[in-house]
Amino acid sequence: MTYALLALGGLLTTAAFVMAFTYAPVALLDDGMRPDISFQIFYFHVPVAEASFLVFAVAAVYCVRFLLKKDRILDTKARIAMEVTLLFVILTMVTGDLWTRARWNVWWEWEPRLTTYFLMTLLVIGYFVVRNSVDDEERRATYAAVFGSLAFLSAPISFTITRVMNNVGNHPVVFGGNAGLGTTPQALVTFIIAQVGMLALAYSIFQLRMREERASERLEVVKISLGG
Amino acid sequence: MRPSSWRQFVAILRKDIVMELRTFEMLTSMTLYTLLTMVIYQIAFTAAGGGLDVRLVTPGLIWVAFVFTSMLGLNRSFVHEKDQGVIEAILLSPIDRPVIFLAKAAGNLLFLTIVEAVTIPVFVFLFVLSRGGLGGPAWMLVVALFGASVGMAGVGTLLATISVNTKGRDFILALMFMPLMYPLLTAAVQATSIAILGGVDAVPAFWRWMAWVGGYDAIMVLAAYGLYEFVIGA
Repeated sequence: MTYALLALGGLLTTAAFVMAFTYAPVALLDDGMRPDISFQIFYFHVPVAEASFLVFAVAAVYCVRFLLKKDRILDTKARIAMEVTLLFVILTMVTGDLWTRARWNVWWEWEPRLTTYFLMTLLVIGYFVVRNSVDDEERRATYAAVFGSLAFLSAPISFTITRVMNNVGNHPVVFGGNAGLGTTPQALVTFIIAQVGMLALAYSIFQLRMREERASERLEVVKISLGG
Repeated sequence: MRPSSWRQFVAILRKDIVMELRTFEMLTSMTLYTLLTMVIYQIAFTAAGGGLDVRLVTPGLIWVAFVFTSMLGLNRSFVHEKDQGVIEAILLSPIDRPVIFLAKAAGNLLFLTIVEAVTIPVFVFLFVLSRGGLGGPAWMLVVALFGASVGMAGVGTLLATISVNTKGRDFILALMFMPLMYPLLTAAVQATSIAILGGVDAVPAFWRWMAWVGGYDAIMVLAAYGLYEFVIGA
């Protein structure tokens, strides 16, 4: 089941990638004449970014649930979800930066979305640094859960800030915003395929990592029982 | 009979104040650190030459100095507790856990405010007075400083309790504290900027930014308050 989802995710994201260049409409540059091919990265960048917010939320839920229940498996789940978050956050940063260079002609711009997302990235990395800095297992889990749930507060800020400070020249808001893309059915279909594919990827990566984690835990138990 | 929450609160707060009054260790080092930071700023201003309007960058610089000095103080306030086993002793005594948070946060807020009260006049004297003076009324500066210090002390108390039990200690504190402080600092710097530069619509703009500061304080201090019980018990 997990492998099927992984394959589906790979297939859908690849399909969306091809569709972005063959089927989806091409936006126009500000002069309204020349095509803006750089915007096709939107079909990759936005699904990855949405997935990163969603996985971060899942990680935060596991953090809070760990604090309430003190169950070790919830801590492991929170950690794995945070790992997946980090992966998606990095992908978002890389694809976003490519677009920033192509469209804005700069590698980095301190505008609201980029700044808040960058801080979110640092908080996700910080989560792992905090973990590695505590030896006692129970204490590590608690501290990580407390910090993880606090760190998540940056996600809604980053998500909504482009809608609060919706200025021209800032990060585009595609749906109901200032991007001027005009959501045609073709664009929407391509986007949805990419988004579903990306979520399937995120979910299956999470499940596979959990499977690996459970296997290595069983291995530890076997080792101890053989040695003792 | 168990003492009331208020008496528990006063007891812990008084312990912190008495400890500080015996040595003045934290207040002197924090104040001196802030003053030294200003000297370092002067190097940057000299390098930039006379064309730079220093008043435009001072609000940010004030907060950079306070963020660093508050981390210094937060770390200090818990290293003592940890190394001399005070936390264990407090946890053994019949004190409610939320009260520990409120008392420690109040102590940190008090020390931070004292350092600000000493250094801000110096800051204004050195960088603002000779360059056109304060544009806005002085109460704005006081409100902005105090409003943001509440959030810093509240969140900082939670994070310092975590970091003092890690291997990285002050490193870990910096790494958690600074990104979480960002939304507060943005608003605080804007409010301070209005206080220093003044302007036509200064008052409504000032309160708009202070609303951000207040919102952050309310959300984050409540979150820290709620999460503290897990941290102190771990």
